[in-house]
Amino acid sequence: AAAAMWGALRGVRRPPPALRRGLAKPAGPRSVRQLREAEEAAPVFQYVGKAAKRKDRVYVWGFCYSGALGVPSFVKPDVGWKKPRRIQTTPYRLETEEKISSAACGYGFTLLSSNTTDITKVWGMGLNKDSQLGFQRSRRERTKGYEYVLEPSPIPLPLEKPQQTRVLQVSCGRAHSLILTDSEGVFTMGNNSYGQCGRKVVEDETYSESHLIHQLKEFDSRVVQVVCGQDHSLFRTKKGAVYACGWGADGQTGLGHYNITSVPTKLCGDIAGVNIIQVSSYGDCCLAVSDEGDVFGWGNSEYLQLASVTETTQVNVPRHLPFKVGKIKEAACGGTGNIVLTEEGNVFVWGYGILGKGPNLIETAVPEMIPPSLFGRSDFNPDIRVAHVRCGLSQFAALTNRGELFVWGKNIRGCLGTGRMEDQYFPWRVTVPGEVVDVACGVDHMVSMVKSFT
Amino acid sequence: LNAAPGRAPRQHVRFLPAPGDGGATGLVAARVPVLADHPLVRGPRFRRLKIGAGHRLDVKASGVFVLGIGHGNALLTDLYNCHLTKVYTVGGLFGKATDDFSDTGKLVEKTTFDHITREKLERILAVIQGTNHKALLMHSNIDMKTQEAYEMAVKGLIRPMGKSPPIITAIRCLQLTLPEFQLEIHCLHETQQYLRKIVHEIGLELKSSAVCTQVRRIRDGVFTLDDALLRTQWNLQSIQNAIWDCQLKVKTELEKTLG
Repeated sequence: AAAAMWGALRGVRRPPPALRRGLAKPAGPRSVRQLREAEEAAPVFQYVGKAAKRKDRVYVWGFCYSGALGVPSFVKPDVGWKKPRRIQTTPYRLETEEKISSAACGYGFTLLSSNTTDITKVWGMGLNKDSQLGFQRSRRERTKGYEYVLEPSPIPLPLEKPQQTRVLQVSCGRAHSLILTDSEGVFTMGNNSYGQCGRKVVEDETYSESHLIHQLKEFDSRVVQVVCGQDHSLFRTKKGAVYACGWGADGQTGLGHYNITSVPTKLCGDIAGVNIIQVSSYGDCCLAVSDEGDVFGWGNSEYLQLASVTETTQVNVPRHLPFKVGKIKEAACGGTGNIVLTEEGNVFVWGYGILGKGPNLIETAVPEMIPPSLFGRSDFNPDIRVAHVRCGLSQFAALTNRGELFVWGKNIRGCLGTGRMEDQYFPWRVTVPGEVVDVACGVDHMVSMVKSFT
Repeated sequence: LNAAPGRAPRQHVRFLPAPGDGGATGLVAARVPVLADHPLVRGPRFRRLKIGAGHRLDVKASGVFVLGIGHGNALLTDLYNCHLTKVYTVGGLFGKATDDFSDTGKLVEKTTFDHITREKLERILAVIQGTNHKALLMHSNIDMKTQEAYEMAVKGLIRPMGKSPPIITAIRCLQLTLPEFQLEIHCLHETQQYLRKIVHEIGLELKSSAVCTQVRRIRDGVFTLDDALLRTQWNLQSIQNAIWDCQLKVKTELEKTLG
């Protein structure tokens, strides 16, 4: 029996060909021709077409608890195990419904506005204790309003032609805000205890949950720029004149006295008859730039901001500042320091505080230039220029023509966006995933409008 | 090398018996070469040469490769501690993505690339340069709050003087003719595979894909393409000339950086 088994095994054959399954050839290393053919046959994916437009985005960073960043999950997390985030140290994307053309940061609140002809043109978030964001009706009680607005909420404006008027610019101060439209003048909201909203001061007025939005129309020509200081407002008209109203104890209204003004009044002094192309203010000092490249200042000078012309600490009439730095294109005022940008793209700082030239330079009355190599200019990139300068209360921001954002100054509650909590003594890049078009600086937060790369 | 005339043998004074009438006991002092220095006793002067390599260059890349011979190996360590930048020319191709980021790898994806313009590429490169500049300042381990840090940042002298991840100090586009492009990259502490990865990431940022076709090192610290020896020049005379020409450059650079 064993021999028969052996015999059968020795003669074992493969199953007859008719029963064999037709398997493919065994896989071995593919030849170059096979690889090339496989490559050419592979499908081509298209992620973006030739006419793809760059998207506009908004990035925010800074102190979150006031709601000024517009992300409710930072203050009230949507999931139980997450903790509320106190500070957002790096840029965080804020989803908006429309393209935001102008943004402004106040003291704990933010306004965003779009150029659209839709009914909703302005959104606000943050503190609303003085109705600086208008009346935000509470959903629980129809008669009460919100004190803190955590999400960008539309601000209803009493426009005559809501589907034709466009909002050009917004500006925020300590507790009031201004909205500039193209054909219906300026709308003001918020605290009016010093007349900064341009209407008469009413004694013992409660500003919270107020529905009142005042409209200002009487100027010599159309208003093209509005600027809010801490408790005063400045209006620049097309003819180059500047109007002011609000608190004047530091002379920041520039009207020749130290009293409150509740009606916008034209400024005289050294800027009478001069065509002003830009005004700036954030604290109690103000700067104006004329079309010929001269800069004028008035207001608080306790921090040597105007010490180049006068020794007094309050200047209530605009004075020309004779700086020999070249033709000035743009100026920005902070709480204690000022910054100007010249036509060649150089940046000059003066005042008090962290000015951007290392820890040794604390105060100077004469503008000092910040070396352009700190903004990335080198033999490799000789044509990098600073295009815009902005100021927060104790921070500075500069935008280059390549779309990079540099910040320096005191890092109050992480507002610089560098990812660290230390103060920054010289310009430092903020990594934003896009080309920064504009930035608005506040006390403890910043908002930037960014275009994506492709 | 061994055929070159060697060191002359040492001489010493020996008291040899005076020539002349045999049996006289006078000794004459004579200067004779030491027998131990005779070439037949000593053997060839060079049996082996110690050759050390500078920064690595992998198989798929080409370009300047610094070698140290004998006592030059100590200079190699010093040059490494100088942390000087290297310059590469990197060639890339849009439209393909492979697994090892080079064009000889396995194909992963093919994409369109007709939407890419020079402007978009320059924007991406500017951002890469910006973030790497930030990394440069952060890894250089100096306190940002001091006046010296500010002054060095102004002059552009801040560099990581220790271990750090790869940092690109400068990058720019030399030419862009779709689908090919060429970049010039100045970097520190990098590997060639990292450069290929950068090319791949540039492709991703532009919403397409890219592979690296060529990596060529043009400069390594003080050594440029002009100092490099071609394959036909690998003979003793050219090597000796090259060493002689580079000596001064290397010395000045070491003194400048390491003090």
